[in-house]
Amino acid sequence: MDKKQNQNASFMVRFNQRIYQENGDDKVQWRGKISHVQDGDEKRFSDFNDALVFMQQKLSELTEKATTDKTSEEQENIVKKSLSMWKTIKAVGPQVIKETLKDPKKQFENLQGEIQEKITVLGDEISEKVQIDQWRNASRSDFHEIQNEISSLSKEIKKLAKKIDGLQK
Amino acid sequence: MSDLQQQLQTLNDFNTEASIRIETLGNFRVWRSHEKIEAKEFGRDKTIQLLQYLISNRQHNALHKEKIMDDLWEDWNDRDFKVALHGINKALEPNRVSRAEPQFILRQGVSYQIDLEKVWIDVEALENFIIIGNKAYQSEKEIAIQAYQKAIDLYQGAYLPNRIYEDWTSEEREKSQLLILGAYISLAELILDTNPLESIRLAQKALAIDATWEDAYRIQMKGYIAKGNRPQAIKAYMKCEVILEEEYGIAPLPETKKLLQEIEAIH
Repeated sequence: MDKKQNQNASFMVRFNQRIYQENGDDKVQWRGKISHVQDGDEKRFSDFNDALVFMQQKLSELTEKATTDKTSEEQENIVKKSLSMWKTIKAVGPQVIKETLKDPKKQFENLQGEIQEKITVLGDEISEKVQIDQWRNASRSDFHEIQNEISSLSKEIKKLAKKIDGLQK
Repeated sequence: MSDLQQQLQTLNDFNTEASIRIETLGNFRVWRSHEKIEAKEFGRDKTIQLLQYLISNRQHNALHKEKIMDDLWEDWNDRDFKVALHGINKALEPNRVSRAEPQFILRQGVSYQIDLEKVWIDVEALENFIIIGNKAYQSEKEIAIQAYQKAIDLYQGAYLPNRIYEDWTSEEREKSQLLILGAYISLAELILDTNPLESIRLAQKALAIDATWEDAYRIQMKGYIAKGNRPQAIKAYMKCEVILEEEYGIAPLPETKKLLQEIEAIH
């Protein structure tokens, strides 16, 4: 077992609140940054799941480092037990990590699922925003908005496609 | 002289008059009667760590010895603590008569605390200048400008940069970083009309600490427009858009987008 100091993981989380109005509606946006004190790594997030995933990764690394003298089977067992703490957090992000650790191939399936989900969500958003009978009255800014939504979707797809390419290599 | 002006003056005087001065931002230096105390005078690194720990926790109540030892040492050892504490007192008060109570590190039973009325610490002064700046922001702009400027002069870099991996320093580092980001933005806003170029520079300083600080991009956009540089103002928006997309996957706030539209409408 490693010395006491190396059994600690500390995180500093910063939340930055933005309250604004959009189309007459009050909105609140949270921007966050999480830092892992012991190695200085940091991650920004607008979805708290990303911060949880970051913490899980760092804690798994800590467990792995502390068990390098074990056989791979023992190590896997300990890492699994270490991750059991996250059972209390019922969210999609942490689930992705758990499944990935159990079976790396799952990561590929998860990413495919993620793409599909994003396409569905965006499709829904577009249909909510522009009702088909309102097309005739759509203004230039409506079209502009749709264009932006489509462009952000393609960016997301490109990012995910890159991740998949990386995995396949 | 107004109340805030008086507070500013008192804070300035303390900076020059305090017999012990400690710099923690960007570097760690201790001055005794305007003479720098060399690291070797503290003896072990643990002595310096203990002093830095007391500085980091200066605003809490006096700290119990066991809590200090728990945070700084792997195994409890009363003797190591005593040696480190003695090292601090000896470096700060080399001529103290034996058995006299130390002046700068206060002891209450087995709890310890740094005496903020006698020891000047840059990070403490920085916070106090910003408090004055914030209070004066609306009604006494000149004082606010002076106070923010003083705070900015003190910020020579991150808090205790050689201890970034010690978790007991994180809180203070985060706090001072947010304070200085606020000071850069507030000062930049106050002088935007009179000195837009300086506002742009201050915003850039804020962005060097946190490249996603959206307020800083808006100040740059306004500053460039005030200087008649429309392309540069639009470029600042584009940078903001790219960084927010990269780091958070979000778009700039409506306020920032509106500012862009206003800039685009200028012919």
